[in-house]
Amino acid sequence: MKRTLGWSDRTILIAAGFFFIAPFLAAGEYSLRGYGGKGHTFANYTWILHQLGFGPALLTSLRIAGVSVLLLLFLMIPTVVYVQLGGRRWARLIEILCLLPIVIPVVSLAIGAQVAMPKRLQSTSYELCFFYVIICMPYVYRTLNTGLQAIALPTLVEASSSLGATPVKTLVLVIIPAIRSATLGAAFITFAISMGEYALAVLLHFHTLPTWATNAAQENLYGSVAISIGSLFSVWFLLVLFSYLPAIKGALQNKKVKVT
Amino acid sequence: MDIHGSTVEFNGVTRKFGNVVALNDFSLKIKPGELVTLLGPSGCGKTTALRILAGIDKEHSGVVEIDGKDMSSIPANKRNIGMVFQAYSLFPNMTAQENVEYGLRVRGVDSVARSKRASELLELVGLASQSARRSTQLSGGQQQRVALARALAIEPSVLLLDEPLSALDAQVRSQLRDEIRRIQKTIGITTLFVTHDQEEAMAVSDRVGVMNKGNLDQIDSPSHLYNKPKTPFVAGFVGLTNVVPAVAQSKNEVLVLDQVLDISEHAPSLVKGEEVKALIRPEAISIEKAAKGAVVITKSFLGPMTRIGIDVGLHDLIYVELTSKEAKKIDTGDHVEVTISSDSVMVTHA
Repeated sequence: MKRTLGWSDRTILIAAGFFFIAPFLAAGEYSLRGYGGKGHTFANYTWILHQLGFGPALLTSLRIAGVSVLLLLFLMIPTVVYVQLGGRRWARLIEILCLLPIVIPVVSLAIGAQVAMPKRLQSTSYELCFFYVIICMPYVYRTLNTGLQAIALPTLVEASSSLGATPVKTLVLVIIPAIRSATLGAAFITFAISMGEYALAVLLHFHTLPTWATNAAQENLYGSVAISIGSLFSVWFLLVLFSYLPAIKGALQNKKVKVT
Repeated sequence: MDIHGSTVEFNGVTRKFGNVVALNDFSLKIKPGELVTLLGPSGCGKTTALRILAGIDKEHSGVVEIDGKDMSSIPANKRNIGMVFQAYSLFPNMTAQENVEYGLRVRGVDSVARSKRASELLELVGLASQSARRSTQLSGGQQQRVALARALAIEPSVLLLDEPLSALDAQVRSQLRDEIRRIQKTIGITTLFVTHDQEEAMAVSDRVGVMNKGNLDQIDSPSHLYNKPKTPFVAGFVGLTNVVPAVAQSKNEVLVLDQVLDISEHAPSLVKGEEVKALIRPEAISIEKAAKGAVVITKSFLGPMTRIGIDVGLHDLIYVELTSKEAKKIDTGDHVEVTISSDSVMVTHA
């Protein structure tokens, strides 16, 4: 039965929508202001492209975010699958471990984990990937766990195994595609957090997009807001693109079949 | 299709879950091309036996062999056993065709060969036109057909069916049941079927094994199992049975509901005066209207047959099945005279 929204539901939706969208609209408008706050222009966006250090900082952030995503999925998908399949007794412990990063201050993490990190890694920006994996764990664990609970995991694994698949093939060919939305969600949470993380990068003296943007903001405040808006919408664009990729692929295949 | 029936043998297999014995010294031999059903209530160990054969579960003791080869050290993915599950188990990210191809894909079969095989099998299960659909676009019955095709695609040595029809509605269940039997006979694959539905078991099997608390109580052809149950549990589980107190009159005779029956064919050695229980099938009882005597209490229309519950002065009603035409003559509240034919009566110690 189709449920119609009552006035109270509509009010809540409009209020929540306004609460969510208003800051973006305000920031968007601010990023378009001209010199001295007069008029509206895209100059702040073109300004970014001409700034020294923007390209390397962006590439560093993208590289770190990409590696963090891969590292986290590589670590978390098998772990959550294991917990769901047979390791229920470990579930509480793993859940607590995954929630710890929320309560541990970033400064403690930076100092404590830095000491524990192998020397070779301490000198490269890839060190940040390991910190970002820790920071993102709580969100990724929950997302993947929910995704796996929505499918008949034990039956799918048993079916795949009885058909001759090894556990790795089952994971790659059946489980990950079956939880595509959850995997994408986890990937984008990690990507977004890694792209926007400032405190750890500045504490450990790495030059990423957020640290560069903070420096640039001292020169052009409108430009720094434009950077934030730009990176936010880039991530959103990628999210939408990847979400629709299978549908686009399917449509193209259907077209190909019709043509042949 | 290149499938040869294999011999399957369980020898003294035991499986425990904590202190609970799920399977107790279980032995069973399935001949090549035979369809054997394990029938029993929930928790009787039938699915455990099937899962041990599939390699999904592990026995504590005993041996499972396929064609004389000990399977205990062989993992599930190397046993070459096709399995259809109770829950819908199609891979949601794949089409019906891709699901059927999956087993061949993980074996490294080239795409042309596996596509050809998948098409043949989808044709066999009557779903050639649905090959491009995903599981969410298929009905429950169609999903189980695809699962059957998928299980057969790898040319397994044994086919395992773990209550594959239990989630389907009655009409589809009956159709698919017959179709499974047709395909199984066509291919000649050795099959172990697990169900708690006795009608299903009787309809499709060469032999039915009735399981009770981890033990195989009896394994026989469906008709033998129905007509010559070896234990009260089997008699009670396979078909409807009236359990009525009786008293031995001699080595071969018992007094049941004021009638002396000669039960020499089915009796254990009786001692005169011994209190026993008579297990009587509804069709072994006939009734006739009378001025006094037993009273008809319930009347349930079952289509061609009608089941009538009669109070004969015992704690429980006894049940009689008449053709619905015959039953028209009898109403609830009528007095009837009850006659028992000794042919289908079995006696067990009380």
